[in-house]
Amino acid sequence: MRRLSQQEKRTLKFGAICAIAIVGFAFATHWLGHWKKVRDLRAGIKDKLKTINVDETKRAGLMSIVPVFEMPEKEEKQKFLFRDKFNEQLSSARIKSEPLQVLPAIKSGVAGYKLLRLKCSAKCSFGQALDLLARLNENPYLVGIEEFKIECDQKKRQEVKLDLTISTFVK
Amino acid sequence: MSDSTTDIGTRRSAVAIVQDGSKLKAVELGRQGGIFEVLWTSSSEDGDLDWKAFELECSLAGEQTKKVEAADGRIVVAGFNSTGVVFYRIEVPSVRKEEIAAMVRIQAESRLPLSADQMELAWRAGQTRNGKAPVTIAAAKREQLEKFVVNVRGFEPEKILLDCEGIVKAWRTFFSGNERDAVVVSIAERNTQVCLTQNGRLSNAVVLDMGTEDLSTITRDLLVSGTSDLADQTETTERFVQDIRSVLELFGYAEPAGLPVIVLSDDSAAHEVIVSCLKSADLNVRAAYPQIEKLDGRTSPGPEDIYEYRVPIGLALTALDGDTDGLNIFERLYIPPSEAKSKRRLYSPKVAYAVAAVMLLLLLIVFYAVDVASPGAIEKRLNKAGVNTNINMLIQRQKLIKSVASQRPNLLELINQINSGDNKGIMLDKLEFKKGRVVSVKGQTKNAEQMYKFQKSLLATKGITDVKIQNADMDNKTKKLKFTMTFHYKNFTKKRALR
Repeated sequence: MRRLSQQEKRTLKFGAICAIAIVGFAFATHWLGHWKKVRDLRAGIKDKLKTINVDETKRAGLMSIVPVFEMPEKEEKQKFLFRDKFNEQLSSARIKSEPLQVLPAIKSGVAGYKLLRLKCSAKCSFGQALDLLARLNENPYLVGIEEFKIECDQKKRQEVKLDLTISTFVK
Repeated sequence: MSDSTTDIGTRRSAVAIVQDGSKLKAVELGRQGGIFEVLWTSSSEDGDLDWKAFELECSLAGEQTKKVEAADGRIVVAGFNSTGVVFYRIEVPSVRKEEIAAMVRIQAESRLPLSADQMELAWRAGQTRNGKAPVTIAAAKREQLEKFVVNVRGFEPEKILLDCEGIVKAWRTFFSGNERDAVVVSIAERNTQVCLTQNGRLSNAVVLDMGTEDLSTITRDLLVSGTSDLADQTETTERFVQDIRSVLELFGYAEPAGLPVIVLSDDSAAHEVIVSCLKSADLNVRAAYPQIEKLDGRTSPGPEDIYEYRVPIGLALTALDGDTDGLNIFERLYIPPSEAKSKRRLYSPKVAYAVAAVMLLLLLIVFYAVDVASPGAIEKRLNKAGVNTNINMLIQRQKLIKSVASQRPNLLELINQINSGDNKGIMLDKLEFKKGRVVSVKGQTKNAEQMYKFQKSLLATKGITDVKIQNADMDNKTKKLKFTMTFHYKNFTKKRALR
């Protein structure tokens, strides 16, 4: 059999390298695509974990502002849960309020949830008002205080007129 | 020269080069199955010890067998003349090889004629008997070995062997040597090598400075006189016999009658006489002649050539057999080209690039594997930690908590801050807070100065900004200054706090 010349050997080598490169490129493209998907998935999971896994200081800060929290229910259920709990807190603070007024739900800043407000008007002592404010954070349905008005009685300065509007999330 | 084109695929060959007396001799020996073939022989002129010139001569001779080389590769070995080599026999306890090496080194160093750093040594342990292993040590001056390496480097030998190992090998293969223990005498022109073999392997060797040149004169005289009366031996023969006796004693055979002494012979009359002389000294002597049964009869030379080239033939046989337990006295001084090439290949940039490429590929694969495995591993860890709830629910809850925290003003804290400031003489009547609007505080005081101080103290409070006095009127009835102040409290009173 005739021996191959140097030129023929070079051609064969070049051809082999090209063939390997083509196959490698096809494989690598597919592989890289899959890798990118996997990396995206991993990044997504990591982001989610990052959302949940806040550091200790932040967690402590959040806990001081929101010590208890219950996931919002549908409006029909949530408004009663919220009202009952708030009523309980009023009773604990020995505040006799006028009937609580549920205001219509409005749009909230969080997608998928509305904001339902509860209005309370009462006459109480200044100390009772402060007591109520101190207990409010223990309401697991409370989002925040929307409106707060406290006015001293000009004759009996220890008595105040309290107007309070608080809110909760509803689905 | 022979034709080496037949069935080249299964043939192996070895070239051995050696200095034999005042000549350089080389042989290429091929083997096919159990049959040997001397492919070529070459020797320099008497007294011509120019290794470079001989290298050229051998390469020309080797051209004839190029096909063999191309097919299977050709082993080249060089033989080192044992004249400068001393042998020692010691016994060591039966221990591991590494421990034997240490024992051998200690014992050899005490016996060596020069300091250990000027000597090179090789050793070989024999079969253990009664808990003791006999060890053969060969030692030679390093400088002498280095010179030899310089001489033979051009041949690129795969190994450098002791020529006495070649003599023993040749005796066993081509001189019908089958005794387990024997003394092999190989008489060259100007010297005689006496090799002791035990269990078929070389265990000691001595070179006598008397060869055929010295002995042929006596032989000639004996032949001319036509007498067989060996009582008239000359002083030379007596000395030769005495030397052989001394060597046998040195080998540890004080009563050598039972030990076979084999004289390698070319069937010449001179050898006959020498054998007769040794026999008359009560030695168990016999002559061994070259046997050509193992050689390819069509191409190989006759017995006289086998005798003439017995040393390189023996070395070539050793190379063909691939003996690995030879006394490699050059181990630390000479690296065979194949090993050197492999070392060079290992250190070449191509290898480095290839290793780097493989490492890079491995790195990519590891990264990929980690990325592929990590989502599953995270889920597994979450399950293990007892977080069985849907991760999306947790995220949603966390988001809501954060949102609540950002929307929950601490009014108790605000009231405390207002009261704890510089509010001497200030009486607050009303506090109004509504998200997205400024906080409004209504109060009364005796004079404006107290009001300003109160404003300042509010401004100094953390979270309160933009404190403004909206109106301040003196109540004529109460003679008090009634005022309204507004301010922003954190972000709750800014417009964006409104949803």
